[in-house]
This record gives sequence, structure tokens and C-alpha cells, in this order.
Amino acid sequence: MTAELLILRKRAATWVLLGIWTLLGVFFAYVVPYALDPEDQTGGVEQFFPESLAGTLISGFPFFGGVFALMLGVFAFGSEYGWGTLKTLFTQRPSRWRVVATKLAALGIVLVPFVLTLFAAGAVSSYVIAQIEHAPVHWPSAWLIVRAMGAGWLILAVWAALGVLLGVLTRGTSLAIGVGILYGLVIEGLLSAFADSVSLLQPLTEVFLRANGYSIAAALGASVDSIESSGPGSYSGPLVGGLQGVAVLVVFTAALAALAGLVLNRRDVT
Amino acid sequence: MRVGLRLTPASVAPLGPAETRLRADPEYAPGRMRKPRSSRSFGAVASDLVIETSGLTKRYGDALVAVDTLDLRVRRGEVYGFLGPNGAGKTTTLRMLLGLVRPTSGGATVLGAAPGSPEGLARIGALVEAPAFYPYLSGRDNLRVLASHARVAEERVDAVLEEVRLSDRAGDRFATYSLGMKQRLGVAAALLKDPELLILDEPTNGLDPAGMAEMREFMRSLGEGDRTLVLSSHLMGEVEEVSDRVGVIRDGALIAEGTVAELRGRAGLRLRAEPIAEAARLVATLPGVDAVTTAAGLIEVDVDTSRAPSINRTLVEAGIAVAELYPEQTSLEDVFLELTA
Repeated sequence: MTAELLILRKRAATWVLLGIWTLLGVFFAYVVPYALDPEDQTGGVEQFFPESLAGTLISGFPFFGGVFALMLGVFAFGSEYGWGTLKTLFTQRPSRWRVVATKLAALGIVLVPFVLTLFAAGAVSSYVIAQIEHAPVHWPSAWLIVRAMGAGWLILAVWAALGVLLGVLTRGTSLAIGVGILYGLVIEGLLSAFADSVSLLQPLTEVFLRANGYSIAAALGASVDSIESSGPGSYSGPLVGGLQGVAVLVVFTAALAALAGLVLNRRDVT
Repeated sequence: MRVGLRLTPASVAPLGPAETRLRADPEYAPGRMRKPRSSRSFGAVASDLVIETSGLTKRYGDALVAVDTLDLRVRRGEVYGFLGPNGAGKTTTLRMLLGLVRPTSGGATVLGAAPGSPEGLARIGALVEAPAFYPYLSGRDNLRVLASHARVAEERVDAVLEEVRLSDRAGDRFATYSLGMKQRLGVAAALLKDPELLILDEPTNGLDPAGMAEMREFMRSLGEGDRTLVLSSHLMGEVEEVSDRVGVIRDGALIAEGTVAELRGRAGLRLRAEPIAEAARLVATLPGVDAVTTAAGLIEVDVDTSRAPSINRTLVEAGIAVAELYPEQTSLEDVFLELTA
């Protein structure tokens, strides 16, 4: 585990993604909408205050955060093919399953700072805005913050697992990232958009990553209006219950990771 | 290729035995010749087999048979040279032995375990094709990662870096290493587990002449003691210099196997003398001579090379001018080219 964390920790891409994710997360959740016209926002200026921290931040995870996690997942395994390091790792002592499990666990750990830094940066931003607006500072309950962070991690984890699988299937990074974003934007996005008019699609869209991610976000206080109007990552399809969302994402994370592990275990390393 | 001791004339004048002087060919000075290690036993006892394959086959689709029913046996403590032209199936074979590639049919045991099993891998060090490491990590960090996976004490990292003379650059990123340094790091990684079996696939690939010489020297030291070394290469020189036994593979099949000496066959004598026809006729009548052929002004004599002095004496006493008389050994390269043509 220490070794795998070293691999991820010393990789520039990890820090670049963390930096961009945090900056853009705060920028699009607080800076841009507040600077444009806070009163005109769907949640009003209150959405920028500390009490709305959990809901405001979590709504950025299901797609925007997903893309970052997807890239992390792709890099964690796809790059190994590019460098040829899988053969080096697989000729050490542990079994392939153990190597894969260790790498997945390390990836899961690396997602934690992605959640923590965004919540920390969001907390600072919301506090500053509250001070600017001379509004009282009411922080959400610790339990809500913990649940929101856990949900944020789960949403990132499912996309990272998708990235891992795509990286393994394509044995690289570029195609995997392209296919992953295409899946999120086009397949899930378009099919979800048609779900209202084509009733047959609704059961399918209810198991999509975005549908379940946004459902969790909504359950934690994210405004449905803001979910429907958040640019390329917006989602207007059907929402499910928060618990169902968690269950679906847990199953997806486990299934995607297991599938990636199975492929890695069965496939020749050339 | 001329090997060993060469009898050379001081001039084109015929030489008597007393006038013949011996010149040691520096390229084959005894000090550089590989000496058999007393600890080795080449008696083929099953438990002494480090690698044993049975009908090992790898097919890619219907058209390509990379390895074809390969039966390979490598004994404990020997240096086994695995020769073959590019694309012959050497690397695929080694990948199957390491569990990286699954055979289509047949099987193998490596150190008594299934290829790729943790029990076996714990005792094997390998460098397969180009050394592959994380480019942004230092050489030391790369080895630390591998040591962690292999459950090897971190002290080994500095030890093997020292062994391959990379300590000075161990803190630099792998991406900044020269090709020779990358190869040495690859060997260091293979040595981390202080393995019983070391598999090196084309370890001198891409190295300049100095790097190749250095790597060959290093490989000689790696093969000392009880460690088994499997060395795959298409470079005859390096295999010939360090191997105890050699297997030649072509189109995925083992087409020859034996010690280097066995593959090269018995050395004969080459003779340049005047008149050539009379010399050839006379030599053919001498005891111990199996065959005499003449070509391009040279007489090739199939005879034990220890008979060179008596042949020389006989010819000189018969009034035949001997210009040159030297032992000639078929090189492994000649054998290889003949086998793989």
C-alpha cells in the first residue's frame, strides 16, 4: 500500500488534477455565480453561505468531479500499460489479484484529499461570502458534512472505477478518457434527456451514474434547480431516492473494479 | 573463427617444429574463458530441474504459433543460453515461464511451482525485454516500490543499487537515465529478491559496445555460485561467453540444445602448405585423421588438434613448406546461422 501511495503521490498528474479540481470547484460553485448575480441564482444568495455548504458542493461531484476521478482511475491503470510497468509488478511476489487490490485501495485513498480539499476550500469561500454579505455564519451539522463527504467520495469512486476499467480495457489513457467522457456526456446525458418523452428509457436512466449521483446530491441538500442548470454537467432526468443512489453506486463501484481486476487477472501481459 | 593457440610462421618460409612459435590470441586469452564451476552437477535429476516445460505452446489465433510444443529443461546452477533470431519465440517463452502470458497448451513448472504463482515468483528475478519503470520516480523509489510488492527489506534496495553501480544516480528520475543505466536498474530490480533463478531477456539490447562489454562482465558474475541464470539473446558472443548450456529456438521450436562445446563440435586443423596436393595426400595418411578437404588454398583437417606438432613435423620432414598450421573451431554463430537458416 505504501508503495502504491508513493506512485500516486509522486505523480505530477495527481497534484495537477487536485489543484485544478479544487480551483474549478470553488470557481464554479462560488466565485462565478456569486460574481455574476447572486440574487438571480436558483438558490438565491443563501446557497453561497456556510449553511448550504454540503448541498452546494456535492452538486459538483456527480459529473464535474466524476471527470476528474475518471482521469485518476485511467491514469492509475492505463499508464501502467504505456510504461510497461505491469509486467514489472506482476513478476514480483504477490498475485495479480493482490497487486490490483492494492492499487485500487491506494486509488481510493487518493480520492480522500480530493473531497477534503474541495470541502475546505468551499468552507473558506462560503465564509468569505457570508462576511461580504454581513450574513450570520451557521455551519451545517457535522453529521451532514460527514455524510456529504462520504457521498462525494463514493461518487468519485464510481467514476474512478469506471476509469480503471476503461484504462484496462483500452490498455492506455487517451482513448479511455475520451470514451469515459463520451459515456458521461453523450450516452448518459442524452438518454437521460429523452427519459421524459420515452418512458422505456426511464428504468435505464435510473441506474445511470449521473442519475444516482445527483439523487444523492439532492438528498443532501443540493438544489434540483441548480442540478438542472449547471452547464454541460446539468441533469434533468429522473431522480431516485438517496439510499437507492448510494446502493447503486456501491454496486457499480464494486462491479467495475471487480471487472477490471478480472480482465487484468486473465489477460496476457505482453 | 580462429580460436585458441595459433601457430604462425615468422615468414612464408617453411618452419620446422622447433622454429614454430606459439602466439596466444588475446581475444581468447585463458583468463577470459569461462571455467566450469565445481559446484555444478549436470546429471539430470528431476529435483535439480529449475525449469521444466512440457509441450509448451502459445498460439495467437490460427495463423501464428509463437511457441510450439516446447520441451525445455534448465538445471539448477547452470547458465542457460536461450538463443534464437528475432521473433523466434524466446520472449514469449520467458513470459510464459513468468506467468505473464498463459500457454495455449502444455505446461511448465518453475522452481517447482506453477508459472506466475507467488511461491515461484518470490524466488525469481527477471528482466524481460526493455526495463519498465515509473519514469517520474527515481531509480531508488522504483526499487522501493518493487521491494514493497516483493516483501523484500528496503536495505536490499541500496545493496543492489551498489551492485549495479547506480548508487550515485539512484536519486535521479528514471526518465533521465541513459539506456545503459536503465538496463542496469532493470538488473538491479531482478536481483532485489536475491533470486535462485534469474531470467534476463536481451540484457544488452540497445547498449553501446562499452555498455555491452560491461553487462557481459556483470552477467558472468551473476552466474557464479548456485544461482541459475537463463539468458535470452540473439547475440552469439554474449551467450557463448557466459553459458554452460545453450538451447536454440526457431519458429517457436527448440531445434538444438547442448553445451557450447557440443554445439560447436570438435575443433579441427587448418593448414596452408606447398605443394598443397601433396600435403593433403600425406596428411590424409596420418593416424587419427578422419577427413581432409582442400578449399581456397587451405587444407582442412578433421583431427584432434593435439596432433598439430606431429603433422607439422611429418610435413616438414617430407620437404613440404608449411606456411600456416592452426586449430579452427566452428563458432557458435556459425552453428546458429546454420541451424536457423
